[in-house]
Amino acid sequence: MGKGQPSYTDEEFVAAIRRDDERALAQLYRLHFPMISHYVLQNSGTDDEAKDVYQEGVMVFYEKVRDGSLELSCQIKTYLYAVCRRLWLKRLAEKTRFGGRLDDHEPFLETGAEADLERAEEKERQLGTMAQSLDLIGEPCRSLLEGFYLLDKSMQQLTDEFGYTNADNAKNQKYKCLVRLKKLFFNQYQESN
Amino acid sequence: MKTEADYYALFEAYRAGGLADAERTALEHRLAADPALAQRLTEFEELTGTLTGYGRRLALRQRLAAIHADMVTEQAPRLDLAKVAEQDERGEQFASGQAPRPMLRISRTEQKLRAFWQGHRATMMVAAAVAVLAVFTTLLGLEMYRTSQQTSSSRNGYTMLRREVERIKRDQRSMNRAITQIDAGAPAERLNPGKFSGTGFALTADGYLVTSYHVIQGADSLLIERGQQRFRAETVFTDVAHDLAILQITDKDFTGFGRLPYAFKRGQSELGEKVYTLGYPREDLVFNDGSLSARSGFEGDTGFYQVSIPVNPGNSGGPLLDDRGNLIGVVSGRQMDVQSAAFATKSSYLMRLVDSLSAAGAGKPYNLPRYNQLGGATRPQQIRKLQDYVFVVKVYE
Repeated sequence: MGKGQPSYTDEEFVAAIRRDDERALAQLYRLHFPMISHYVLQNSGTDDEAKDVYQEGVMVFYEKVRDGSLELSCQIKTYLYAVCRRLWLKRLAEKTRFGGRLDDHEPFLETGAEADLERAEEKERQLGTMAQSLDLIGEPCRSLLEGFYLLDKSMQQLTDEFGYTNADNAKNQKYKCLVRLKKLFFNQYQESN
Repeated sequence: MKTEADYYALFEAYRAGGLADAERTALEHRLAADPALAQRLTEFEELTGTLTGYGRRLALRQRLAAIHADMVTEQAPRLDLAKVAEQDERGEQFASGQAPRPMLRISRTEQKLRAFWQGHRATMMVAAAVAVLAVFTTLLGLEMYRTSQQTSSSRNGYTMLRREVERIKRDQRSMNRAITQIDAGAPAERLNPGKFSGTGFALTADGYLVTSYHVIQGADSLLIERGQQRFRAETVFTDVAHDLAILQITDKDFTGFGRLPYAFKRGQSELGEKVYTLGYPREDLVFNDGSLSARSGFEGDTGFYQVSIPVNPGNSGGPLLDDRGNLIGVVSGRQMDVQSAAFATKSSYLMRLVDSLSAAGAGKPYNLPRYNQLGGATRPQQIRKLQDYVFVVKVYE
């Protein structure tokens, strides 16, 4: 038995994830977790930190695949390693307690991870602003927008849930909410820029 | 006039493809013509795009968390029920196509310890290194301090008997202070008691003295004291190997000791001979006696006698005399780990040294006493005559 060969090749993984194959994602996740966990633990991290870093790395990879913008010039494993390593080094630098001792002597690999990470960070910031704006907008707008955009509920469902007389009323309410959200979102986004 | 919300309804319908052809082309024309409207559309798209992206991100995070939780729970029972798990795994492998990974079984405490070790490994290693370094530095420092303390006065259990006056000085200071308090008017005589002191005795009537080399070792200036009398002296010659030093009094008003009552023995003395010494281990003259117990000194050094006289720091350089008042040696040191083993330089070596100095003809001639006036006298009589010729040698560094 021992360490079996992965049953998907890298191309198959990418294809399966593009199809939104839950099992492929789960398997990819399990396949590379020990590597990242080991790396983080070796570099003064904890189990939880390893989990966070790895999930963030997988998210970057997953979203790239879903966008269809992934140009993989190396193995998935290498890509994930590069992304997670950068993420972890950044976190370590923020912690600064162990600032001097970073295990950063590895040869630079052209994985495209750096550029991807920058884009991912930008997106992260955008999403963070969105989360803040949603917090600020207040009820019932928040529930309405979350129901429609985040939870993919239909307008009819929302109409019933919120007790609007008809779907048009609900829709109008939704558009008003969107306008408010727009103001909040762009104000905050500009501020943070 | 349309409100912004109305536009949003329009845009949503436009994006969803729910507009009639005519309406759509009209909107597209307007978008092309009106940049403000186009801007509004991009904002709308960014907003909704971010919203859905946010939704997807949340969902993905949940999925990953679920996968992680699955993975963790899956591993736990697999470890507990190794056999079942093995079968399971085989089945699972076929089912999911996933290879089993070997896993280490670790208890919770060990896990915590490991995490701690992983997190603080560097710090702990530094701490350990510092601790080890500190321990060894301390030990080494102590050892070096001890050896440096020893080298001056003793080595290998051999102790040279010059007295460090520092301690006594402190006592004297406090005494002086007490005295000045008693009669505050009179200025107390402040005497520098010197750093070390030993004993010396007259070699000739005209101002030569003998003491041990180690007493005057490293001396800046020497002071010879007997009761209230004080003379300056300087070193004329030293013999390190036999621990001898010859001093000469340099004071102008020094007239001479008078005739010396003892004579120097040129030959060897016999074992078992009764011997005694006078010296200044304290501020006062102290007598001690014993017998000559060996004709060689420390570690078989034939330049010395071993004598069974209890001697103390300060006795160094004192005269060693036999029953008939012949000077047979100069007290030099003692062995710490042996009961009352003191050593004294043989007088024959002193004589040889004096002879060679006279032959060289440097300085004043050495007129050694020829006759012994102590023979037949009792001990106390001998000592009464002797005591005028035994001095404190004070050394200033």
